[in-house]
Amino acid sequence: MGRSVTIPVCPLWIRGFVTAPITPIFLTAEKGISMNSVAVGTAVVELRNINKSFGAVQALRGVDLVLRHNEVLGLVGDNAAGKSTLMKVLSGAYIPEEGDIFIEGKKTHFASPMDARRQGIEMVYQDFALANNLDVAANVFLGREAVRTQLGPIAVMDNRRMEVEAQKLLNRLKIDISSVRLKVERLSGGQRQAVAIARATAFDAKVIIMDEPTAALSVAAIGKVLDLVRELKALGSSIIIISHRLEDIYRVSDRMIVLRHGLKVSDTPVEGDIHEFRERVVAYIVGARDDFGGRAAADKRQEA
Amino acid sequence: MSFIDHGKKQLRGNIREYGMYIALFVIVVGFSIATDGVFISSRNIVNLVNQTGYIAVLAVGMTLVIVIRHIDLSVGYLSGFLGAVAAIAMVSWDLPVSATIPLVLGLGILAGLLSGFLVAKMEIPAFVATLAGWLGYRGALQLSTRGTGTIIIPDDAFNAIGNGFVPDIPGIGILPGVHHLTLILGFLGIVLFLVSEINARRKLQGYESEILPMEMFILKLVFVTALVGGITWILAGYQGLSWTAVVVLIVIIVYQFITTKTVLGRHIYAVGGNPEAAELSGISVKRLTYAVFGSMGMLSALSGILFASRLRSATTTAGQLFELDAIAAAFVGGVSAAGGVGKVVGSLIGAFVMSSLSSGMNLMGMDISYQYIVRATVLAAAVIFDVATRKRE
Ligand SMILES: Nc1ncnc2c1ncn2[C@@H]1O[C@H](COP(=O)(O)OP(=O)(O)O)[C@@H](O)[C@H]1O
Ligand SMILES: [Mg+2]
Repeated sequence: MGRSVTIPVCPLWIRGFVTAPITPIFLTAEKGISMNSVAVGTAVVELRNINKSFGAVQALRGVDLVLRHNEVLGLVGDNAAGKSTLMKVLSGAYIPEEGDIFIEGKKTHFASPMDARRQGIEMVYQDFALANNLDVAANVFLGREAVRTQLGPIAVMDNRRMEVEAQKLLNRLKIDISSVRLKVERLSGGQRQAVAIARATAFDAKVIIMDEPTAALSVAAIGKVLDLVRELKALGSSIIIISHRLEDIYRVSDRMIVLRHGLKVSDTPVEGDIHEFRERVVAYIVGARDDFGGRAAADKRQEA
Repeated sequence: MSFIDHGKKQLRGNIREYGMYIALFVIVVGFSIATDGVFISSRNIVNLVNQTGYIAVLAVGMTLVIVIRHIDLSVGYLSGFLGAVAAIAMVSWDLPVSATIPLVLGLGILAGLLSGFLVAKMEIPAFVATLAGWLGYRGALQLSTRGTGTIIIPDDAFNAIGNGFVPDIPGIGILPGVHHLTLILGFLGIVLFLVSEINARRKLQGYESEILPMEMFILKLVFVTALVGGITWILAGYQGLSWTAVVVLIVIIVYQFITTKTVLGRHIYAVGGNPEAAELSGISVKRLTYAVFGSMGMLSALSGILFASRLRSATTTAGQLFELDAIAAAFVGGVSAAGGVGKVVGSLIGAFVMSSLSSGMNLMGMDISYQYIVRATVLAAAVIFDVATRKRE
């Protein structure tokens, strides 16, 4: 674990559809090497004091979160802890009542998912958020279609280019789907998840958020998704992954945050052996431990 | 035999789409035999085309409305009302045709945007919002024709849209008595179809499972070529293409282009497939809802123009039940009520299936009550077929 691996940050992806040459970087992303090495770097995302309510339900009560460059951050917590809500705040789907978002140190405001996508923040939603009636290429490029010609308000798509680029993307991520012309409704759960992830990485994504990417998958498919996470990290992305499966978090994350009842209760590196790790995390999840209890209570007193 | 096996598999995969063509084929052949060829006569085919036109344009718009998971019940009386507005504009306000048509189309877009506003902005279910439209436009139609009753339209240019034919290219000696322009257009249509099919097949090569076996592919090309060629020949032997046919062709080409080739079309289907996903991808579901209802309003106006022109007048009952015919045509043509599925060409075929049925039954002198029951059966069968084939997938 003491081994540090230098992984060059690769700007890549399809910048304006010009594909970067495939680098042999994949090869360094071996299992276990990048794992658990705490990435040192500046914050790519910082959330401060995020508050979000739904009617009487206070889903988030002043949560702070920092994601560093090229880091995989695990986000865990019991059902209804506020994990998805926090990530939807970061992806622009929800607007918090209170709190600030900083991207690369600059204060930002997201009014819609498009705003966040423009700043390189992509989210893979829990239910995949794919249009099942469209094919793989159409889903990968949904909302950002390649345009061939603009006839006044009518934009004519460049289907050929989208298909070629989508295929390249699948190859790069080693996703096994026979054709990008297949409709998503004909894919397996694992393949759909792969398409959703591919879609999130198609455009220069700085940050990729995955909400329960392994929840609905078979064991074999889970392994593939976790490989995908490692690959993305090796390619230079910063990733936040939500999961109920602690071993998934353990296998891919550098650091882990635990939420409980809309508050952050733990923020620690992922280390030690899996049993010790699991015991520690469960203690946080069920409320037996709380590293920020004092502060959270103090903040609440201040508010009142 | 592997060809037949392969063909069967392919047929099963696309049964929804082929089913419609087969139904149309059976109807045409069946009625032609039953009526001793009267059904397939030039006169009847031209009539059929002109009668289907005003429903077909509605069905095209309705396809998109249903694809985005809504419905528009107001289109029938909106069509009737706007037809009356066109008549009044020409008769009472002395507007020329060239001003009347854009005016009415513009009003149609406004009416559609109003429905869009109620559905997208006020979040009223489309069924209710457009039911209000149904009532409102019915009232408006009665008000506008109350003073005069039926409004006779004296303008020949306007009336030609529903009754006239495209003039032929003058001075061609060969094949006298045949409409040359129609033949040329039909020929170009077939060539275009063949070229695009062959190109599409070449592009698909390599994706084994998706491609028709060669024999089936050739069969399909021959079938469509024969169909288009036959219709072209029949029309060319009479007075050529009617203006209504030209209008419908233009609408189909424009909408086919928009739905398959443009970002707008892609987004319409995405919204139909998964509205939440579309919204999270940065697509504005509201804006698309406005666009789709706006287009529906414009096509309602066009339908009103076609119908008024065909009758050479605006009547109190114009547009009655058009909405149901359009919705039926869309469902027969393979649109799914679940949203996200349906092609404009399918709905056009659906419209022809339904009106061929009516026309054929009329020619056979069948009691109108039984006609309704037969059409009901066909509609139900189409939807049951659709649901059943979808489930099996
Ligand atoms: N759109 C919403 N409307 C109302 N309540 C919501 C909504 N989204 C989340 N909540 C509530 O907020 C709390 C946190 O939910 P969520 O962030 O989905 O939890 P998690 O992803 O950790 O399971 C829950 O009590 C949930 O019921
Ligand atoms: Mg969740």
